[in-house]
Amino acid sequence: MNAVEVLGLRRHFPSSSRGGRGTPRTALDGIDLTVGIGEVHALLGPNGAGKTTLCKILATVLVPDAGTARVLGHDVVTELAAVRPLIGCVFGGDRGLYGRLSARRNLLYWGALYGVPGRELRGRAAGLLERFGLTGHADERVETFSRGMKQRLHLARGLMHDPRVLLLDEPTTGMDPVSARDFRTLIGELRGEGRSVLLTTHDMAEAETVCDRATLIDGGRILHTATPRQLGALLSRHERIEATGVPARLADALRARPDVTSVHDGADGTTTLIEVTDREALAPVLRLLIDAGVTELATARPGLEEVYLRLIGDRGMEVVR
Amino acid sequence: MNTRPRPEALTLLRHGSAIAVADLAAVYTWRTWLFGWLVRMLSQVVFFTLIGRLTGGDERFLVTGNALMVCAVEATMVVASSAWERSLGTLPLLVAAPARLAWTFVVRSLQWVISGTATSLVALFALGPVFGLRWTAGSACAAVPLVLLTSLGTYCVGLALAAFVADRPGLRNVVSNVAYLGMMAVCGVQVPVHYWPPPVRAVAQALPLTHELDALRGVLDGAPPVHVLLQALLGAVTGAGWLAVAVLGFGWVARRGRRTGAIEFGT
Repeated sequence: MNAVEVLGLRRHFPSSSRGGRGTPRTALDGIDLTVGIGEVHALLGPNGAGKTTLCKILATVLVPDAGTARVLGHDVVTELAAVRPLIGCVFGGDRGLYGRLSARRNLLYWGALYGVPGRELRGRAAGLLERFGLTGHADERVETFSRGMKQRLHLARGLMHDPRVLLLDEPTTGMDPVSARDFRTLIGELRGEGRSVLLTTHDMAEAETVCDRATLIDGGRILHTATPRQLGALLSRHERIEATGVPARLADALRARPDVTSVHDGADGTTTLIEVTDREALAPVLRLLIDAGVTELATARPGLEEVYLRLIGDRGMEVVR
Repeated sequence: MNTRPRPEALTLLRHGSAIAVADLAAVYTWRTWLFGWLVRMLSQVVFFTLIGRLTGGDERFLVTGNALMVCAVEATMVVASSAWERSLGTLPLLVAAPARLAWTFVVRSLQWVISGTATSLVALFALGPVFGLRWTAGSACAAVPLVLLTSLGTYCVGLALAAFVADRPGLRNVVSNVAYLGMMAVCGVQVPVHYWPPPVRAVAQALPLTHELDALRGVLDGAPPVHVLLQALLGAVTGAGWLAVAVLGFGWVARRGRRTGAIEFGT
């Protein structure tokens, strides 16, 4: 049994034109996806790709037009009572909390909504406030919190009923870098506790750091699902060297070698990316670079960000409709 | 990792009412409640009673009706405050929770019942004697539960209306105002219910305010206890009926929202 099993999921929305008479917008176009138990799975895609629609269906807030979605074996359309206690839902931004209540009161209320027994509520709330560094602000009104503090409280709220599956929809929106790093540590802890996490994010570094597998989604269709390293291999089946300060003459010499498949400038304009045919070719090419006085070197496969940009395209702020 | 599939009702009531108390504290301080809200509502009672007297009305009838009406005015604010869940971005999380959506709305605006009951009681006990009401210990004790029942019953009417404007939050204030003005017109507040033609009288019979007001006037006029109890019970039953409509209505809101995608995740 998987934590999440999605099969042939489709969802359309009526046209946003007046009266909804235009062409319906396809948010999900027959997607298949699985998230294993204890797996952290990133869902990557541009705005309008269908990430939030998928989260809404899994959270039982939206019904699909076709296909099935199961959480720990329970159908999200027909078995609401079984599914809802299993899921913790967290979305980014600073909405979704009661600003006039204290952080503690928010947690107590959400715990009560999920049926956490009254005698356990206070202990659980205190534990989560401690875990998220909010103990000192536990009895302050949430409307006085910074966005990052609200985001941490959101995460605490999502864990209040001890869910086995977490849906995190861009949870680090508005977090400062230190909080975002702590968040990544938290994801590791959640994995260690056996929870499954489906994480939608635009932050490639975050996805690369925390996820076991990532799915690229665009236009309601899944492009690829694999580990970050496997996704990197989609772009380049070859090993890659990143070097800074490569003399032009050496670059030309490398291009002429049969074990070098390409030599080109990196996106930052100062590095040179050299791809070689296989792992055995790395050593002689590295030696040539070092002999030429190039000391800033790294070997790596393409990162998720590069994969994302290559497969989905650099669409800027365009939203798919 | 075990949680109960269904929330405990009392725990939910306790922690949900914290939202109501927090909202009440945010809307009023004790000074603004006392010197702002209360004075405004007492002025309304005096205004309608004096206008009625000038036109030859019975001021005891008018002051009783208008004093009880103020709790109905405040209770119908639930129509507006129910829409706050959508603006707070909490609605999708409430839908995704195991608790029944309707009960979260039932609990979250109880501040209007508390404030409305207090306002009406002050109006009845402080202004009533000025316009000819004579309170005894017995009648005063009977008035308190009747006012509370009126607040709760009208709150249930407001909840039902709130469910049906849940997808049109822009209408919330219009509906709230039309609802309480309609009750003020037909429930016997300014003119007796029998003044109206039968179809309007039938509508009035479906509203808790009509029956609780009849019971309260019965208490003040020394009507037989059976009459008072019967009217109080009818008010409670009609209130329960509106609560049932509200529960069904919020269930419909959740089902419709899941179908149409109207329940948005907020950012």
